[in-house]
Amino acid sequence: MADTSAAIPVRPFGKHGDVRISALGLGGHYIGQAADEKTAIRIVHGAIDGGATFVDNCWEYHRGKSEAWMGAALKGKRDKVFLMTKVCTHGREGMLAMQMLEQSLTRLGTDHLDLWQIHGVAFENDPELFIRPGGAAEALRKAKEQGKVRFFGFTGHKRPEIHLSMLNVGFEWDAVQMPLNPFDSHFLSFEQLMLPELNKRGVAALGMKPLGGNGDMVKKGAITAEQALRYAMSLPVTTTITGMETLDVLEQNLKIAQGFIPLAEAEMQKIREQVQQAAGDGRFEPYKTSLKYDNPEARLAHGFPIDDQSVEVKEMLKATQNEGHPWPQVTA
Amino acid sequence: MAAGDGVSSGAFDVSRRTFLRSAALSGAGALAGREASAASRTNREDQGETMPSYTVPRRAFGKTGEQVSILGVGGFHLGATKDQQEANALVGRALDCGINFFDNAWEYKEGLAEERLGTALKGKRDQAIVMTKVCTHGRDKSVAMQQLEESLRRLGTDHLDVWQIHEVVYYNDPDLIFRPDGAIEALAQAKQQGKVRWVGFTGHKHPDIHLKMLSHDFPFDTVQMPLNAFDARFRSFQQRVLSEANRRGIAVLGMKSLGGSGEMVTHGSITAEEGLRYAMSLPVATTISGMDSLEVLEQNLAIAANFKPMTEGERKALEDRVRAWSADGRYELFKTTMKYDGDLGRQQHQFPVAEKMPA
Repeated sequence: MADTSAAIPVRPFGKHGDVRISALGLGGHYIGQAADEKTAIRIVHGAIDGGATFVDNCWEYHRGKSEAWMGAALKGKRDKVFLMTKVCTHGREGMLAMQMLEQSLTRLGTDHLDLWQIHGVAFENDPELFIRPGGAAEALRKAKEQGKVRFFGFTGHKRPEIHLSMLNVGFEWDAVQMPLNPFDSHFLSFEQLMLPELNKRGVAALGMKPLGGNGDMVKKGAITAEQALRYAMSLPVTTTITGMETLDVLEQNLKIAQGFIPLAEAEMQKIREQVQQAAGDGRFEPYKTSLKYDNPEARLAHGFPIDDQSVEVKEMLKATQNEGHPWPQVTA
Repeated sequence: MAAGDGVSSGAFDVSRRTFLRSAALSGAGALAGREASAASRTNREDQGETMPSYTVPRRAFGKTGEQVSILGVGGFHLGATKDQQEANALVGRALDCGINFFDNAWEYKEGLAEERLGTALKGKRDQAIVMTKVCTHGRDKSVAMQQLEESLRRLGTDHLDVWQIHEVVYYNDPDLIFRPDGAIEALAQAKQQGKVRWVGFTGHKHPDIHLKMLSHDFPFDTVQMPLNAFDARFRSFQQRVLSEANRRGIAVLGMKSLGGSGEMVTHGSITAEEGLRYAMSLPVATTISGMDSLEVLEQNLAIAANFKPMTEGERKALEDRVRAWSADGRYELFKTTMKYDGDLGRQQHQFPVAEKMPA
């Protein structure tokens, strides 16, 4: 069905109809998990050559490695992509956000971002902390005034209620990122509670975790990678961001995305029914039920215990050993 | 100190136990707080000589006609006492001071917690309201009935006063419990057979899940839930479930009055006395508190025996004072993380074990 010689479809960026981005987005976390910088660069170049224009990243991914490797890959290609990164204040003050912005721009080797998002809105009081006087909201507006960012958004994977409260906090959002996959359609559902609201308001919906973040739903046989990615891309979203840490995964995803035709509603429904039973307790969406996917910056800012098995924490600890390597060798 | 509903087995169990013990050790000093520390010190000096005589007040136990002490002994921590002798002393002292409610669960310490309580209650069974919990975690009635027999044997009794479905914390648990041949049928059957007098359920995750359980209109006699000053403003059982249970005349068993492992107290947000007093001032039958040493028991006895309910204004003042700490659920980890979800339940729901996913 898919025509591999065809391009990845491009879709309007919410109400900004003049801005169009690719229906498949390149995830930033997994770029930092590539075997080495050379591989990471080849993946980014492969994605761009394959027609992906949307690239995701985040200040706290792999303690800066994801942004640095992507920056290296974007040398001479900056204008080919719609570049997004995220800021990790997690409720802390706007001044911190401005410092993180400078670091992100330096690592990414650019003077401006297309989209700057508040990362990991996962706690009930995040919206209130964001909008408070001196909070990160002020930094976002200031960065736009300075011409360093074009659009604003926020991300999170915890609960649609928290997303709704952030959406309604009284800020001019251009984009919102959230987990969208067949399992989500049944369980604490962003698809049901958030997506229609974004569509109604013309806020660009950015899907993520089409395979549940860690691919367990595929590894344990509940669904195929192709089914899950097709499902996510068929929802009324601007793009679906997915992690690709090897050229093989990139190849596989490009095959699905190039010439992509959305599934019919009947096919969508069939996939929903297929996963209904396993979706009921969130076993394949641990980002909603556990802290596993909440990075140390978020946990520390909110006074939650950090996870000594998380790759970011290991990197944080090793980074102080001063071995002369910019990115210590640690495994997830 | 910490409240009763805990986890069962695996390496995680050991680490939590260690942590709880260290929290308990600091108990009489930091935990007890300014007001209670002087009294607590005296108690310890007096132990074995002239123990202070306390009478813990009682209240109506829902619609059952029984009277229950406002403080209940948590079973998880009873299983964490250093030996049977300490458990005997703890249970004996609690009974002497008018405490008559004893919590437990089939899965606590792989049965050791029930055995400790059973042994400690020898010859005193009729003075106690004995509760334990069944740990089907979605499995069917026959599993529940088998666990009931094991619980009765370990507890050395022919009947339970209260039998509750343990740890209803997964969003599809209500569906699994109420399916044909589900655990709910075991509750009805055991009651009919006279093996249990009253039935209920417990959970610490989300008011939505509790309300879904109640929506089936099953004649529950009891329901257990986390109740504390932080809960009042965060995914609140107090606001959403307590009133509904009161309306239905279901006896409410409060737990996690200090955050599950005493972290509200050890981090300095409230004193143990404030935490317990707040929880006991709500319209509940009893507040179950984990006490793994005589020291912690004495501290809690002093608070419960001298209990004067907080006024609504006092409660609100405490809620306001902890507002910054309650807003993100950092001291209610049982709601916001998987830390308090036991391995048996995780296994039934195909989640990683605690060791692999600690929170």
